Amino acid sequence: MSKELEHNFVELLEKHQNIIHKVCRLYTNNYDAHNDLFQEITIQLWKAYPKFRGDAKFSTWMYRVGLNTAITLYRKSKRTVSTQDFSDVQFKISAEEYDDTEEQQIKLLYNAVRQLNDIEKALVFLYLEDKNYNEISETLGISEVNARVKMNRVKTKLKTILNP
Amino acid sequence: MDELELLKKDWQKENGNYPKLSYNEIYKMILKKSSSIVKWIFIISILEFVLWSVVSFLLKDADYNQRFKEYHAESIMTPLMILGYVVIAYFLYRFFMNYRNISVTDSAKVLMENILKTRRTVKQYVAVNLGLMVVSAFIILSIQFNRDEEMISVIEKATANGELFKFYAITIIVTLLVLALLIGVLLLFYYLIYGILLKRLNKNYRELKKLEV
Repeated sequence: MSKELEHNFVELLEKHQNIIHKVCRLYTNNYDAHNDLFQEITIQLWKAYPKFRGDAKFSTWMYRVGLNTAITLYRKSKRTVSTQDFSDVQFKISAEEYDDTEEQQIKLLYNAVRQLNDIEKALVFLYLEDKNYNEISETLGISEVNARVKMNRVKTKLKTILNP
Repeated sequence: MDELELLKKDWQKENGNYPKLSYNEIYKMILKKSSSIVKWIFIISILEFVLWSVVSFLLKDADYNQRFKEYHAESIMTPLMILGYVVIAYFLYRFFMNYRNISVTDSAKVLMENILKTRRTVKQYVAVNLGLMVVSAFIILSIQFNRDEEMISVIEKATANGELFKFYAITIIVTLLVLALLIGVLLLFYYLIYGILLKRLNKNYRELKKLEV
């Protein structure tokens, strides 16, 4: 593949890399696994890039490839077995209005989301990214109605996890 | 406030807090090799095609097979052999067509379906091969009953002793047991390999399918 293609791709990815980090954050729970999944998503994006047409937004396209890699293609490699915890604290910003109870609740929420299954996590991820149901349904390949129904079930499930 | 809304607020304000990889770090990544399950499925599938072709080729070439020339059973064995080649050509073609359809830019469900379809082709190939093996085993057995001189003399002895039924029953049961054992070992092998490789994919696919009911 040409150098120019490589350059364009890496530049675009550098700019939009947060999308991949966010996928990794939901689907992995330690630093090594995060990096491993990040790398696999990057490889899949690069492999698919020659077929990428400008009519879709690069970021939209990234959501799809990223989630597909996390849900379907990714095989946990041996080196990701690690005891090092990827604590949410690493991501926390020292908010000016530090609210202890809210902070605590958010931490519990992240832990609850981690207990969801892969498909439920995908729904939550797209929801957190402010995607509409049309986009969610197209990314996952289910109908819009079913996406809504499932989302409501996920909300209930989260409530149950938080208040057993 | 809705729990998810609270989470969303936090999620979106954290935009700047992820690790930031440099141009060079990302560039190094795209030079690395993928370790996705599609790659593993491809490798294992090709190995299966090779293994089964080699097995059937070896069986055809064995010394044992030479004896068949004495039976003058070419009219049965040749079509079986040709059928074997047609089967592998057909399944290889279907496998590659399915494999080419796997695209990471499809929706999650279509991607999973295409991967499972590719696997199904290989499974069907192996099943057809096993079927052919069972059919061949019985054809060979029946040819031996009729044309193998040693076998004919054994049958004659058995007839003289009044144990013809016992002889047929034992031979057929032993053949069936050997075949069952062989198939059993293969199924176990399959269960282990694909159980591990496709466990997550199958689980997620079922989850998506469940949403449609």
